[in-house]
Amino acid sequence: MVIRFWGVRGSIPVPGRATNRYGGNTSCVEVRPKGEPPIIIDAGTGIRKLGKLLLEESFGDGRGKASILISHTHWDHVQGLPFFSPLYRAGNEVHVFARERDVHLEAVFSQQHDAPYFPVPLSAMHATMQFHGVSEGASFDIGRAKVTSARLNHPSVAIAYRVDADGASVVYCSDTAPFSDMILAHEFVERPPSGILPLALLEELAEMRAGVVALAKNADLLIYDTQFTPEEYKKQPHWGHSRPDDAIEIAMAAGAKRLCLYHHAPMRSDDANDAILAGTRAAAQAAGARFEVMSAYEGLEVTVGDA
Amino acid sequence: MKVRFWGVRGSIPAPGPETNRYGGNTSCVSITTATGGLVIIDMGTGLMHLGATLMASAFGKGAGRAAILLSHTHWDHIQGLGFFPPVFVPGNEITLWGPGGSDHVLEGILEGQMDPNFSPLQTLKNFSASFEIRAVQVGVPFEVQGLTVTARLHPHGGTSALAFRLEEAGRVFVYASDVGYADGVPDAESIAFYRGADVLLHDTTYKPEDQATRRNRGFSAYDEACAAARAAGVGRLVTFHYDQDYTDDDVDGIVASCRALLAGTAIEVVPAREGDELAI
Ligand SMILES: [Zn+2]
Ligand SMILES: [Zn+2]
Ligand SMILES: [Zn+2]
Repeated sequence: MVIRFWGVRGSIPVPGRATNRYGGNTSCVEVRPKGEPPIIIDAGTGIRKLGKLLLEESFGDGRGKASILISHTHWDHVQGLPFFSPLYRAGNEVHVFARERDVHLEAVFSQQHDAPYFPVPLSAMHATMQFHGVSEGASFDIGRAKVTSARLNHPSVAIAYRVDADGASVVYCSDTAPFSDMILAHEFVERPPSGILPLALLEELAEMRAGVVALAKNADLLIYDTQFTPEEYKKQPHWGHSRPDDAIEIAMAAGAKRLCLYHHAPMRSDDANDAILAGTRAAAQAAGARFEVMSAYEGLEVTVGDA
Repeated sequence: MKVRFWGVRGSIPAPGPETNRYGGNTSCVSITTATGGLVIIDMGTGLMHLGATLMASAFGKGAGRAAILLSHTHWDHIQGLGFFPPVFVPGNEITLWGPGGSDHVLEGILEGQMDPNFSPLQTLKNFSASFEIRAVQVGVPFEVQGLTVTARLHPHGGTSALAFRLEEAGRVFVYASDVGYADGVPDAESIAFYRGADVLLHDTTYKPEDQATRRNRGFSAYDEACAAARAAGVGRLVTFHYDQDYTDDDVDGIVASCRALLAGTAIEVVPAREGDELAI
C-alpha cells in the first residue's frame, strides 16, 4: 500500500516562498492499496493536483472509481472538491464518506456549490457521486481494504480513519485536540476553559483517547494533527488541534511504527517545520520511542506492507 | 491612493514554486487613501496576510476602521474573511459593501460561509469587531473612507459581479475583476465606466486560446482587457485574477502580450503581483 501526500496544511492554503518545501495546500492524502482504486482522505485544496493526475488513468475516459473519506467538513478538508477534475467526467464513480448528521450529507456538500459561492452546482457534476454516512466507530470495506474509524476531539466532531490492506495499516488522525483539557463537540467555545473538568467529562475524554489508541494499534504509519506548538496550544486549547508531544504520547501508547506530523499551521514556514521535526525526533527518542518520526510534505510517498 | 496587491489569483489558491513570483493567493487588494483611510477590495486568501500586517497598526488595539468592497461572493473572493485577525479585536469597525438585493440577503450569504458544518466560527456573530454589512446600490455614488465609490454590475458567467470606480481628488482607480463580456467585446457602458481611469485593474484570467473553450465561465482574456483599456483611454492597465493553472512563466507571457497589444498607445501595463504597491 502506498500513501501519498497532496496537501499537508491546516486551516487555509498558504502559497508563497516560505512554504515551497512542505507545500501550501490544505489536507489531502491518497491511500493506494496494491492494484486498487484510490482511497482519498480529505478533500482540501491538495486534491486538485491529484485529480489532474487521475485523469491520466481510467478517470480520463470516465471509467474511474474513487472513495473519499472525509474527517470532517471544515473548509480546509472539503474546499478542493469542486476542483476535483474526475467529478466532471460522466462515468466516473466517486463515493464520499463523512460523519452522519441530521441533514443529509448530499445537502451539506451541495451547499459548497450553491450559486452565490460557486458557478457549478453539485447536481451538474457529471460523475456519479454517492454519499455514505459514517457513524463514529463504524467499520466498512472498500474493495480489499478494511476501513475503521474513531471519534476525535474537535469542534463539530472529526473522525479518524484506519485503512488496512496489503498486510499493513495507515491511520489518519486529524483534526483533534489532546484528550486532556476539554471536550469539543457542537457548542461554540469562545475562550479557553477555566477550572477543573467534571469527572464525567474526564471519563468521556479517556474513552475517546482509548478509542484513538485502539484505532492506531500497531499502525505502520500514524498521521497526526500537530498544528500547535506548546505555546500556541496554551492560548488556543479550544481550537481543536494537538502538539507534537500529544502525537508522541498516542503513538507510543498504540505501538505505532512510524509517526507523521501533519496539518501544519498556515503561518508555519518551512524552516519552522524543520525545527519542529528535529525537536519532535529528539523528544521521541528521549521518551524511549522506537518509531521513526517524519513530517508530511507535498509529494511525500510512504510505502507500507506490499506495494 | 496607494494600491497594494495581497492576492491576484482566481478561483482557488495555487501554492507551489511555480507561482512564487506573482503569488498564489486569491483576490484581495488594499487601497490606502491620501488621508490614511483604508479600503479593501475582495476577501480572497490574500486578506489573511493583509490582516496580519494590520495587526501592527490601530487594528491590533481595537481602534481600526476600514471599508471592504466585495465584487461578488464566489469562494475566491470571500474565503479569507474567517482568517482576518482584525475582526476578532473588539473596538475595530469594519463596514462591508457588496452585491445583493438587500443588506439582509448579503449577510445571509456571508453567514453561509461560517455555517457550523464548515467553519469552527459557526456564525459571523462571533466576530468581536463591529462588522456591518451593506448592499451596494448600483450606479449610485457613495462615500467610504473619504473616497467616492460607484459600482457597476458586470456579467460574470451565470451570475454577475460588481466593478468599482474609486475617486479621490480627481484620481481614479477602477477595479473590474471577474467580468465576461457578451461575445468577448467590452460594451459601451463598461467603457464609459472605465473612462479616464488613471489605473484600470481588469480581469485577465485567460489567454485567448483558453478563453475560446471557456467563454461561458464569465472571465476575460487578456486581449479583451487590452481592448477595454484602449477604448476607455486609461493611464495604466493592471492584469489580475490569473487562472490557477498558470505558472509565473504563463503570466509573464500574458503581460508581454498585453504590452505588445498596447504598443503605440500611452497605456502602461502593470502586472498585479503579491506585495507590489502602486501609487496613483
Ligand atoms: Zn483542519
Ligand atoms: Zn477542523
Ligand atoms: Zn474570482
